[in-house]
Amino acid sequence: MNGLTNIPALSVLLILPIIGALACMVWGRRASVITVLLETTVALLLPFRVETTVFPWLRFEDWGWIERYGARLSLGLDGLSLLLVWLTVILLAVAVGLSWPRYRQSGFYALLLISCSGILGVFLAQDLLLFYVCWEIMLLPLILCIALWGGAKRVEAAFKLLLFTLAGSLLMLLAFLGLFLLHGRQTGDYSFALQALGTTVIPADLAPWLFGCLALAFLVKVPVVPLHGWLPDAYQEAPAAVTLLLSGVLAKAGIFGLVRVAMPLFPETWTSFLPVLGGVALVSIGYGGWLAFVQTDLKRLVAYVSVAHLGFIALGVAAFNVIALQGAMLQLFNHGITTAALFALVALVERRTGNRQLHELGGLWSRTPQLGALVLFFSLAALGLPGLNIFTGEILILLGAFGAHPWWGAAGMLGVLLAACYTLRMVQGVLWGSPRGPEFMKDITRTEALILGPLAGLVLWFGLYPLPFLKLLRGPVEQLLAYLVTTGGLP
Amino acid sequence: MTEFLFLIPLLPLCGALIILFAGGRMPRRLLTGVAIASVAASAAVTLWLWPLAADQSRATLFTWFDAGSLQVPMELLFSPLAACMALMVTGVSALIHVYAACYLHHDPDIRRFFMLFNLFVFAMLVIVLADNLLLLFLGWEGVGFCSYALIGFWYRNPVFATAGRKAFLVTRAADVLFGIALLWLFHLTGTLSITAINLQAASLPPASVTILALLLLAGACGKSAQLPFSSWLPDAMAGPTPVSALIHAATMVTAGVYLLCRLFPLISLSPTALAVIGLVGTSTAFYGATCALVQRDIKKVLAYSTISQVGYMFLAVGAGTITGAMFHLLTHAFFKALLFMVAGAVIHLASGEQDLFRLGRLPKRSPMLFWLLLAGSVALAGVPLTSGFFSKDAILAACFARQTLWWTSLGVAGLITAFLTALYALRLVYLLTADREAASGHGPAPRGLVWPLLPLGALALVGGLLNLPEVWGGHAGLGRWLATPSGLSPSHGLEWGLAFVTLLLVAGAWFAIRNRYRVPTSPVSERPCVDFLIAGWKFDSLIRFAITAPFERLGSELERSLERGFTTSWPAGLGRLCQATGQKLRVFTSGSVSHYLVAMGWGIILLLAMLLFLLIF
Repeated sequence: MNGLTNIPALSVLLILPIIGALACMVWGRRASVITVLLETTVALLLPFRVETTVFPWLRFEDWGWIERYGARLSLGLDGLSLLLVWLTVILLAVAVGLSWPRYRQSGFYALLLISCSGILGVFLAQDLLLFYVCWEIMLLPLILCIALWGGAKRVEAAFKLLLFTLAGSLLMLLAFLGLFLLHGRQTGDYSFALQALGTTVIPADLAPWLFGCLALAFLVKVPVVPLHGWLPDAYQEAPAAVTLLLSGVLAKAGIFGLVRVAMPLFPETWTSFLPVLGGVALVSIGYGGWLAFVQTDLKRLVAYVSVAHLGFIALGVAAFNVIALQGAMLQLFNHGITTAALFALVALVERRTGNRQLHELGGLWSRTPQLGALVLFFSLAALGLPGLNIFTGEILILLGAFGAHPWWGAAGMLGVLLAACYTLRMVQGVLWGSPRGPEFMKDITRTEALILGPLAGLVLWFGLYPLPFLKLLRGPVEQLLAYLVTTGGLP
Repeated sequence: MTEFLFLIPLLPLCGALIILFAGGRMPRRLLTGVAIASVAASAAVTLWLWPLAADQSRATLFTWFDAGSLQVPMELLFSPLAACMALMVTGVSALIHVYAACYLHHDPDIRRFFMLFNLFVFAMLVIVLADNLLLLFLGWEGVGFCSYALIGFWYRNPVFATAGRKAFLVTRAADVLFGIALLWLFHLTGTLSITAINLQAASLPPASVTILALLLLAGACGKSAQLPFSSWLPDAMAGPTPVSALIHAATMVTAGVYLLCRLFPLISLSPTALAVIGLVGTSTAFYGATCALVQRDIKKVLAYSTISQVGYMFLAVGAGTITGAMFHLLTHAFFKALLFMVAGAVIHLASGEQDLFRLGRLPKRSPMLFWLLLAGSVALAGVPLTSGFFSKDAILAACFARQTLWWTSLGVAGLITAFLTALYALRLVYLLTADREAASGHGPAPRGLVWPLLPLGALALVGGLLNLPEVWGGHAGLGRWLATPSGLSPSHGLEWGLAFVTLLLVAGAWFAIRNRYRVPTSPVSERPCVDFLIAGWKFDSLIRFAITAPFERLGSELERSLERGFTTSWPAGLGRLCQATGQKLRVFTSGSVSHYLVAMGWGIILLLAMLLFLLIF
């Protein structure tokens, strides 16, 4: 077993999906299943047999890349990225499993795999150029998927998504290059390493602009409310697997970027940015919840639910104290699981009834009780019922937010009421009432149960015993706070 | 030994899980057996561990949350107060489970019913036993969910499902305020343990304590259907009758009172908050009684009556007597659960008819049920020597013993409400016994529906012995057990006076009702004031007009205007910008060779100039 420790697991994790994608093109879609299985094994083994080389990291790998510009392939894994890597791999498995009966072209699976490689790169990269490249890799394949396999308005939706996120990521590249040049001029050491760039002295008149570029790029990806224009259409038109990855993982990349890239690079600007973020987060919670309440299309409804929940995570980040941050980081995982399950269920309901309009659905419980029970279960999780996973994150976020600014916590609590309003409306529209739609419907199949069962288990686990994961996150969160204090961002 | 405390809530949970995972393969008898046995076992364990309560035993299972300064253990506290409540919850639940097994024996979906019913008992016991506010909140929302799912149990009827949703949303609205109190308490004290908060309460700033107490009151009002959150309870009667008996009469609706009792050391620091609690209690009691007086649906009479009786418990908390509140809570659980189950049996016999003016002849059809109804009604009416008489008088005595204008006037309002209570309780009896052409029933009540009521009937009559005041030769047993002195000791003269006044009121009510309903009557003519009362003072339409409708309308308006801008106009603008830029740049690739040649020429000149520049400098 000693040999295992020497395997550069992080690099393997990154390259495996790309090899898998190539294999898909050669051997057909079966290769994707094998890749997912291998990837899961590697991801699960990550925390074991580690020899810490560089301090905060569980694992750290560093390879030369473009030596001339000081860009290296450096990958670091700590508690937070571990959780997100797990989330990515789980959701990839769900996405592949959910698409299996529906999409036969191996290209679809190849694109999913490539995107997954990009996502993992974003969560692991410690080099800004690598981060940027991965950032683009994670999105473009999904946009292609929407444009090729999406719903009726797929091209329009894909274009909208492309425009918004490309504008964002170009701004990000601009900020990175600016930093790169500044740092190079100051120290003579031209490097893209995140750690090195954090020490750059940024002129006071330039800092807000560079930070603004970065923040915009990340907030578009989350998205928070004024920047969410791409979201409803993209989520609605995309194939279920893509929606699930977009909301489950890509949104997390935005928050992750804010905390792990924007904060360390601009600690001083960060503190003055927090109130803005808090305000935007509260608007997202309220606005997203309100709009979710009036939607008639089930998938669009869940899309807005996702906006509201991401608002909570942003609120936790804005509060920026131990409790709120731990809650927010935990919620990244929780929300990914719940929202993915909800989008999967929407797809399953649609496959059975051929319909997604709330007023044409109803009475599903009497036709397919097991599917109905799953819809109810995950809706309750989304509603924030204590004992299920969303509550765990939400209460920590709210406790922390109240500590930072009492009225943030109080206003956030109102979002919890909104959550009950839209979720129960959805449940009532889908489950209760007299049965409609086709006379005969298959209840949940074994494959579907295999996909959703583990997700339900995770919902309960994180709801009732989140302790191991909170411990996992404590280190990274304390480092973030300590970093901000030492760099003078916090008084 | 203390670890066994976890058996109390976990046994019903196990029952629910067994039914959930294996219920589909079980015969019906086994399934109901599992459900009943798990709750009965829980009651037995409560009795077995009863001695532990005297020294406030605790048991910890594991840590739920640990983040920064926040520590939330899964910890139970078995105090005398919790023990009383736990025994009542498990005992009454066990009886109602037996009743439900008979009541629903034709329903095809009893698996779902008993799963939720057991889960409810679990969640309720978590509320009762939790020491940590967050754990209590778990139970609090858990009972809310079970109530939601059970009100809408017959989900094919959208009206029932809507009633369930309303119950959940109204209580959730109140829970927002409760939640804010919770956040604030943690912010101020750094802990969420109820014991620790109560210990630190004295050191908190008084203004915060008042606001905190009011926020907690709001949360309690939601669960306990007090004004202004009362409107969900009458609608909740859409659920099967055992649900109404267990959740909406005996246990869940009293959770608010129990919460205030648990946090009483904190709340009692603010006289303003106590005065407001008293006011809310009295006005709700009066409101509920006036509405119950004119209802035609037998279950709605009982629903409004529950609202009204829980109001008395709030009044007791406000007046500062935990013993009084708990005493009334217990007796009310007995007689109201009894009344609901009698009503269920009556409805069952009349094949689903719930209109009081179409029911009747109960003594002839089922004498046993009639006597049980009578026992419940006299206890509700507060006829001297029944349980309701003692518990209600204890509350009113505490009000008058305060000897301030505020509490005396609340006490007088309580007396007026007591008169109204006697009126509607006796009206119920007279209407059910009236000799009219009733909807034809079928046979006597099944034995399974009757025998669980017998113990409750007995308790409704003699439950007063639990806390018999010393004036009547008792030992105030409950008060001693709870050991929460209120600092008030009503004089003997006051107690005798109150007993006499109550007797007069009940007698007056009896005469009034006898004259009105002795001969079978038809429903009252549709007078506007009766309509107003039947509709619960039209609070529903007010809320719809002021809150729900604008919320929906504004939401759709937002969707049409602002959201359209975000998702359509703005991206389209961005798209057009890109397109226009492209169009502008297109002139460079016009396709005619002469343009390209000119551009090439300029390029060469530029390059040469740069080269020259570099050579010279």
